[in-house]
Amino acid sequence: MTIASATRRRPARRQRDAVAAIAFLAPTVLLILVLRVIPAISAVGDSMRSGLPGSLVPPTFVGGEIFARLFAKESFWESVRQTLIFNVLVNPIQILLALALAVLLTRNLPARGLWRTLIFLPAAVPLAGSTIVWGIALRPDGPVNGVLTLFGLPAQPWFTSPNQVVVAMIVLASWIGIGYWMMFLIAGLNDIPPVYFEAARIDGAGPLRTFFSVTLPMLRRPLLFVLVADTVANFVLFAPVQILTSGGPEKQSNFLMYDIFHKSYQLSDPYEASAELVVLLVIMIAIVAVQFRLLRTPEGEE
Amino acid sequence: MRARTVIGRTVLVIVAAAVSLLFLLPVLWLLASTFRTASETFASSSPLSWDVLWPREFTLVNLESAVNTGFMSALSNSLVVAAVTVVLGLAVSAAAAFALAVIPFRGRGAVFSIVVLSFLVPFEAIAIPLSRTFSDWSLTNTLIALILPGLGNGLAVFTLRQFFLGIPHSLSEAAHLDGAGWFRVFWSVYLPLTRPALIGAGLILFLFQWQAYLWPILVTSRQELDLAPVAIAKAFGAFTTDYGRVFAETAILAIIPAIVLLALQRYFVTSVASTGNKE
Repeated sequence: MTIASATRRRPARRQRDAVAAIAFLAPTVLLILVLRVIPAISAVGDSMRSGLPGSLVPPTFVGGEIFARLFAKESFWESVRQTLIFNVLVNPIQILLALALAVLLTRNLPARGLWRTLIFLPAAVPLAGSTIVWGIALRPDGPVNGVLTLFGLPAQPWFTSPNQVVVAMIVLASWIGIGYWMMFLIAGLNDIPPVYFEAARIDGAGPLRTFFSVTLPMLRRPLLFVLVADTVANFVLFAPVQILTSGGPEKQSNFLMYDIFHKSYQLSDPYEASAELVVLLVIMIAIVAVQFRLLRTPEGEE
Repeated sequence: MRARTVIGRTVLVIVAAAVSLLFLLPVLWLLASTFRTASETFASSSPLSWDVLWPREFTLVNLESAVNTGFMSALSNSLVVAAVTVVLGLAVSAAAAFALAVIPFRGRGAVFSIVVLSFLVPFEAIAIPLSRTFSDWSLTNTLIALILPGLGNGLAVFTLRQFFLGIPHSLSEAAHLDGAGWFRVFWSVYLPLTRPALIGAGLILFLFQWQAYLWPILVTSRQELDLAPVAIAKAFGAFTTDYGRVFAETAILAIIPAIVLLALQRYFVTSVASTGNKE
């Protein structure tokens, strides 16, 4: 509507609007260029060049050679596999629990504000801090194993076992993530007009039927936003790996983000790290693009 | 029927309370461990005893150790970086959001898509190549390097744009008839009406910087520029025996955003409410 009325305006005014828009947008566009576009281009550029670090000879263009070298490595695919296993588990767990809690805490329960706040509280602890709390809590002599032995269960190695390190990472990430994403879903639930629930009640729909026929369809947009934002966040999870496990034990927590960091700095192989980063960027952009597509599919609700 | 509803509600409250307690326990344990010696912390958890969540011998020695080893300077670095980011980031995001919501120009939809899309790719994904660019520009070990990435935030732009879209156009039309330019409309008409959304967007910007960990270790190597999360991780790695100090530092790091979020939770919820809506 505004665009249409703008085209009917006098050209002078239209030009003035365009100049104003450029001025208002300039800082943001500049930041996008510097902070997103240039590093992405430089990663792509570096992934197709090769040279000795610190050498005076400029790196030479080698095309897809580094990608071929990367894709031939067992360790790369292992890192991809562990990243996918972690994400296939952690994202549904976090989102299903966040959704269940959001539905529970939008019901008319006593002290529901208090319950919301307590579940959201861990999101306030910065990731490096919660990493350390859980790193110590899951130590062999920590309180979690203390609870297990109290119930007659054997103490578990958690972060020090190749079989359990992914589980321990999921616990740590979910402690923060569930409450955070729950807040977004609560906001989404509050936006659903109450008449829909009223209508479902009059039609005699039970709680399950109401959830699947009213709540879930009406919550589609917030749910998709949470799904994608949570997924991209978990794909670049870094601090817990770097602080607690350095990718171990036996490389089972060597997720892509940490592997790239490790190659780039500890192994001084920026070119292969760049190639791997391009792979990660492609995955990220694909996830974001899928979100945009899904959000744009109208289903007669607008 | 009535009795069943009462039982149902009671069960739901018990579930809510139990889950809340589960999320709260690590926080309580962190606080208790801040005020007791590390050896008492582990003595109470292995085997588990009742005072695992309460210090038997209350002590401030951990907090003293954190203060004496320079944690406060890391904390003040974090505060400075977060404060500057919130102020400049709000200015930048609000201006962009205003243009995208209010000023009519050709290609607005496309620019909006680019802004949101480019910021939806998480910053960490491009942090490593960006850190090389920053070192080429000799920005390594500067406050500017720490602040800059926090300024462009797609979620903040998105939140503010949604809010601006809800302000009636008649207001800006009236201001234009009075001879006001776009800047005047932005500054005197829109911004004063936008306080809740500005607080929400400010929280988003603040949390981004308060959480920052990967970027600071990429662009700073001098200890006096360490941000608080980096300082804690270093203390955790270097003094694996002094867990007490690490607990105290983590508690200090967590208490600041916790207070801010508890005080401003309302704005956070209303501001994230818009994320699901496109228009």
